[in-house]
Amino acid sequence: MVRIVEMPAVGRGFIEELKEFEVGRTGWSEPVPAKQRRISIVSSAAVSRRGDKPFSWLARNHRVIGKHDRDLVMTHVAVEYDRTAWQQDLNAIIPLDRLEEMAEAGEIGLVADEHYTFMGAADPNDMEKSALEVAARMKADNVNTVFLIPV
Amino acid sequence: MSGLAHYFEAEGFATVLVGFVREHIELVKPPRALWLNFPMGRPMGKPNDPEYQLKVIRAAFELFDAPSGPVLEDFPDVIPVKGGRMGYALPPGLVYSTDDIGDVDALLAEVQAEVEELRPAYEAAVAARGRTTVGASELEIAGLAPYIAAFVKGERPRSPRKGLSPIPALKLVAEDLQAYYTETRTHRDGIDDFELLGKWFWEESKAGLLLLWLEAVALESEDRVLRQVVDMSLITPRFWSEGPLPGSSGSGW
Repeated sequence: MVRIVEMPAVGRGFIEELKEFEVGRTGWSEPVPAKQRRISIVSSAAVSRRGDKPFSWLARNHRVIGKHDRDLVMTHVAVEYDRTAWQQDLNAIIPLDRLEEMAEAGEIGLVADEHYTFMGAADPNDMEKSALEVAARMKADNVNTVFLIPV
Repeated sequence: MSGLAHYFEAEGFATVLVGFVREHIELVKPPRALWLNFPMGRPMGKPNDPEYQLKVIRAAFELFDAPSGPVLEDFPDVIPVKGGRMGYALPPGLVYSTDDIGDVDALLAEVQAEVEELRPAYEAAVAARGRTTVGASELEIAGLAPYIAAFVKGERPRSPRKGLSPIPALKLVAEDLQAYYTETRTHRDGIDDFELLGKWFWEESKAGLLLLWLEAVALESEDRVLRQVVDMSLITPRFWSEGPLPGSSGSGW
């Protein structure tokens, strides 16, 4: 994305005013070797399985998608970003097929059974509870590596 | 996403993120980040281009080799956008008032005809892709435009989704209708240009006109939630416009 100063007025005004995240929990976890990585994707695209409860406009919670789920819908509050890419190809925003190919090729270890989506418009300061719930699920799924992807 | 990276890293996971807003990444300092000078909505760069998507993923995963952090690298490619905007935006002058609204039922009939004309190509697109993103509202395709038209006429139809009130459902209905159109054209015509698709839907299609009439009604509505739809540009794409919608606060966000 271009620098903020290059953006048109309305969007620039919003993005400039986003609250600063209060970094209360910081850390540095040593990555495991590539072939041992079990990777989960965390997306802010507010995508969920068809029939799941839609994200609310101020959602701070998350949804779970399985690594084989492809029948997905999007209920993101924002309409300012392009949705035609994911309509054509889920991998444009959540590259599950690409990770599977990398695992088959031995570039990474395994793709996790579960992946997680949030609604990107939420204030990260309010997302800790849900983030810790996701962390607990990822530990149960033996995940050691997380790939975070915005929309 | 940068904030989430901190939460997960503190829980023992090695994280890497790709991000669009470099200034935010610089501020929040996630452990490993790759900045993408891409349009929003396309974090892997290009749909149906596995090699390009792998190039982005591999560039991100190379950051796991950094001995310490935070580390922020720039992906070398730029996918250019029009005028700094991350998605299609309506022309600021393309605004209707309730005085401009004509025969809603006549327009609805035109939209329904448009929908049916597109249907064979839409079904071909779904068959080819094995999926559709249409359906978050849980309303059948033929019911989408009538639900929107009811709001234009000042009615309050029942929400098609249990547990979701009518106006949030209206947003999903509008998005389903737009997805129906754009899924059809991206497949039928091989178009991958969100500016062109946005212009077609919002400035040329009857469905787009129906939604602009809805915006006009919402703009003058006494219903706070319906007004919020306009103030926050939750249906009509004005976020990247050079000025707010006249009559709206333009600062709902």
